[in-house]
Amino acid sequence: MNDTPALRVQGLKAGYDGFPVLDGVDLEVNKGEIRVVLGGSGCGKSTLLKNAAGLERPWEGTVELLGQKLDWSEGRPADDVFGKIGVLFQGGALLSSLTVAENVALPLRIRHPEIPGGVLRELVRLKLGQVRLEGAEEKFPGELSGGMRKRAGLARALAADPELLFCDEPSAGLDPVTSRGLDDLLLELRKTLDITMVVVTHELDSIRALADRVTFLSGGKVVFDGTLAEAESAGPQEVRDFLARRPDERYGETAAMAFHFEQ
Amino acid sequence: MSDGPLSLPETLSPDFTARATRTAQATLGAGDLELDCARLRRLDSLALAFLSHLQAEADRRGRSLTLRGLKPELREALRGIRTPGSGVSERSREPSLAERAGEAALSAGREILSLGLMLSEALFHSTLGLHRPKTLLRGTTAMQMIRLGSSAMPIVLLLSILIGFTLALQSGLQLQKYGAALFLADGIGVSMVTEIGPVMTAVILAGRSGSAITAEIAAMTVQEEVAALRSLAINPLHFLALPRFWAMSITQPLLTAASCLAGIATGMLVGMLFFKLSAASFLGELRQSLPFTYVWQAAVKSLTFSWIIVFIAVTKGLGVRGGADAVGRVVTACVVHCIFAIILADAVFSFLFYL
Repeated sequence: MNDTPALRVQGLKAGYDGFPVLDGVDLEVNKGEIRVVLGGSGCGKSTLLKNAAGLERPWEGTVELLGQKLDWSEGRPADDVFGKIGVLFQGGALLSSLTVAENVALPLRIRHPEIPGGVLRELVRLKLGQVRLEGAEEKFPGELSGGMRKRAGLARALAADPELLFCDEPSAGLDPVTSRGLDDLLLELRKTLDITMVVVTHELDSIRALADRVTFLSGGKVVFDGTLAEAESAGPQEVRDFLARRPDERYGETAAMAFHFEQ
Repeated sequence: MSDGPLSLPETLSPDFTARATRTAQATLGAGDLELDCARLRRLDSLALAFLSHLQAEADRRGRSLTLRGLKPELREALRGIRTPGSGVSERSREPSLAERAGEAALSAGREILSLGLMLSEALFHSTLGLHRPKTLLRGTTAMQMIRLGSSAMPIVLLLSILIGFTLALQSGLQLQKYGAALFLADGIGVSMVTEIGPVMTAVILAGRSGSAITAEIAAMTVQEEVAALRSLAINPLHFLALPRFWAMSITQPLLTAASCLAGIATGMLVGMLFFKLSAASFLGELRQSLPFTYVWQAAVKSLTFSWIIVFIAVTKGLGVRGGADAVGRVVTACVVHCIFAIILADAVFSFLFYL
């Protein structure tokens, strides 16, 4: 295995409209690994993914994707960085005005207009086959179920053979069977295509199915980084509570009001 | 209300609560507060919120609140009230006027900067950067020309005909008094070509096409479709703005020309029907009063207005944050800003062209 990590994040600070979400996050993901980033709602998982994938500009810190440091000096990272990564968005993020086939073919049509139409159609057919979505080529995103939209989004993310795939809540909003199917699909793709994956999720079943290592975020910081077994046995209490589905005592912490009574 | 402890009824009505809150707050402003709760029979949500609010108010002011004669079972209920502790995020402090003004200035600065960057980038890629690899799908510009431009033709023509009719009739009646009905051609021709045609078409397109561009791009932004484009190494500005930029740049001057022709033709018909003018005399007068300079000035104006609409609409769409309500807000903002910018630009053009 090459020593250069697929993803290296150092001192990442990020947020929205002046409100900080991530406060100095460090993360290193090795090639070929499936890293699950987990944590409670609002802890900054999706913000970390968007900053790590170069979709949002961090306030501070650096991100290296496949050995290439993201440079924001021209307003956005260079396009060639994006050519090596894929992103599966929470809702699929398919362009609603294009058919599934057009969506999957889009990155190649734009970046390599010289590819003949017949070859492109075959490539789309192969990608849709990989995500088990044969026959949906001519459908529009509005005609697909949530699970199908995610698989179509996955096919599009895989169209340019990325080395690193980011998945934002892949099983969110899916029934347990469809969710399991998607997890199996991601495992199969890792095996067949040798892709490094960074998966953001808080679904415990997905975490157990997918994770080689887990990174737990809380309060905008990494509070644990290691294997799932380590997290469950020797992780901080907060992490063990999360994995055991015990309610976090901090949420809903209240104080009684002191009323003064007299007869 | 009388002096002494504020007396609570058996159950608190919204009306009583409103009055009692004002009285209690005034009392807390001056000193401690006592409430006579002997008659209070039930602690419903409103009563709990009322007492809780007064207790918090008393704590904040360093006063004491004493509840007299409260039934034991109600005391237990009241002891059960809990307020969010340190683990729950506290409501953030309201920003001061200076902070709000500073934030608004920063926001306006960011918007102007992003508009400037987009303008320069779009102009570069439409001119010097044409040789670079394009991120456009075949046919999108033509499709946008149909959606944003051609389909606006009926409404532009209809309004131009109506305005041409009204303008011709009103001015014709006045001119007729002085035996100068022929000058109707001058009035209609000059006003339609220099002002009404370009400005009215731009305002219609701002409301129709500008809002459509913003709504579409804003919806794509909130549904992460724009982020998906970035992740696919597709520049969203090229992919989304350039087809619309070209489509509006081509169709808006054509629509303006159609608007001017429709208004002038209607004016001529009004002149022929109501003021006994012949077509030949109307057209002859029109030719004399309408130099070619006015025509190209109208073309420059309409082209500029089209760019204003596209840039504001795309910037608003790409800059949206939030959900469906945010989409509605940016669409409204887009139309208002477009119309304002069009009228401002028109004033600048008037200064440059006619002074």
